[in-house]
Amino acid sequence: MRDVERIIEGIDTLRPIAYVGDKVMKIVSNPDCSFAELADVIKYDQAMTANLLRICNSTYFGLRKKIASIKQAVAYLGIERVACLLMMGNSADNLKNAQEGYDLNEGELWRYSVSSALIAQDLAEKKHLSNIPLLFTAALLKDIGKVILNTYVQESFLDIIKTVQNRGLTFIEAEKEVIGIDHAELGAKVAERWNFSPAMVNIIRNHHNPDKAPSDDLSIPIVYLADCICMIMGIGVGSDGLAYRYYQDVVDRLHFSEIDLQKTIANFREKLRAVEELVDVSRGDW
Amino acid sequence: MMDLVVGVGDMKVSSDPGTVLATYSLSSCIGVAVYDPIVKVGGLLHYMLPESSLDGVKAKKNPCMFGDTGIPLLFKEAYKFGAKKGRLKVIVVGGAQILDQKGFFNIGKRNYTLLRKMFWKNNVMIDFEDVGGNVNRTMKLEIESGQAWLKVSSGGGLKKI
Repeated sequence: MRDVERIIEGIDTLRPIAYVGDKVMKIVSNPDCSFAELADVIKYDQAMTANLLRICNSTYFGLRKKIASIKQAVAYLGIERVACLLMMGNSADNLKNAQEGYDLNEGELWRYSVSSALIAQDLAEKKHLSNIPLLFTAALLKDIGKVILNTYVQESFLDIIKTVQNRGLTFIEAEKEVIGIDHAELGAKVAERWNFSPAMVNIIRNHHNPDKAPSDDLSIPIVYLADCICMIMGIGVGSDGLAYRYYQDVVDRLHFSEIDLQKTIANFREKLRAVEELVDVSRGDW
Repeated sequence: MMDLVVGVGDMKVSSDPGTVLATYSLSSCIGVAVYDPIVKVGGLLHYMLPESSLDGVKAKKNPCMFGDTGIPLLFKEAYKFGAKKGRLKVIVVGGAQILDQKGFFNIGKRNYTLLRKMFWKNNVMIDFEDVGGNVNRTMKLEIESGQAWLKVSSGGGLKKI
């Protein structure tokens, strides 16, 4: 067992997105929010604006007109989507590197984070959920704990994998048992440190334990299901494999059928090239 | 030698001795490799879903996304390169599942069941398989030698099959 407090101190090595993240989330959680308020957050940050416009102009969004200002971006994509993309533009630095402990090459965790957030957004839109940016951001950042836990997983990998194989524990349960803390809990601590809302902290903490979500809450099940779909497709799957638990009753809560699952996978494959471009553009490889 | 990457829902067939066919991140998807040692032709398919009846338009556009359209295409493409069915070595990898994944949601198992049915109907024998479980797999096939390699996420790196 490691010194958990020391592991948690690793949060300070991340590039904080607290200020922007907190502001953006607060603005879009207000139903009367305006584009002016959102524009205010980034108007003095040219790099952030340029990054946002580059993302908006990626083929994924299929806009015929080139977006040249945040006002235009909001007009074409809507304020909620722009908020999501702002969060995307600010998260790549923390998630784009290789995570050797999880056997993820450079860019793989980022590719997974974006894919999972896009799928969660799609599911949430179909369910007409409110506050999609919250869900999107939670899905995007939910594995940020892996970035800190990575070195510890690398050192203790044999013990973790033995615990998974011999005792039928999930990878995350094995992380907790061998290291003393798991990547979801650590991710929740990052979200707390960055002053994200309790709802966001809760989704990140329970993204592998959706059975802990209250029965009327669909946000944790949606982020969980998006993660499962990525796992099934092999996106972002590293040394942890698919050693996580599947909760059919949680998926049933979303009235998500087998055909829905297969269609989601087929649709995602069809968009794959555009997704890959979005992943690269948002990562800063232009 | 050059790795020629076979993407998700894609297929490659080659007779170039300098090529290694490779496919990564086979979770619930299935990788099927075929190799004819006489003409030194190899093919690799990475399909995601069992049946094309899900979406005829998508299946037409991208038959390698589905097992029932991708598998016949892999064999036919290898025949075009001079491969003969009776000589083909067949390797099947993938079809993993999340823990406790049951019924219709178990895409890995459904992908594998479909393959077994198709092979049974068409008299195709599997020479090597590594399927199921909760692991992620990578697979490679050297065209010059027919040597195949497998990496399983639970550890150990690439190993000869």
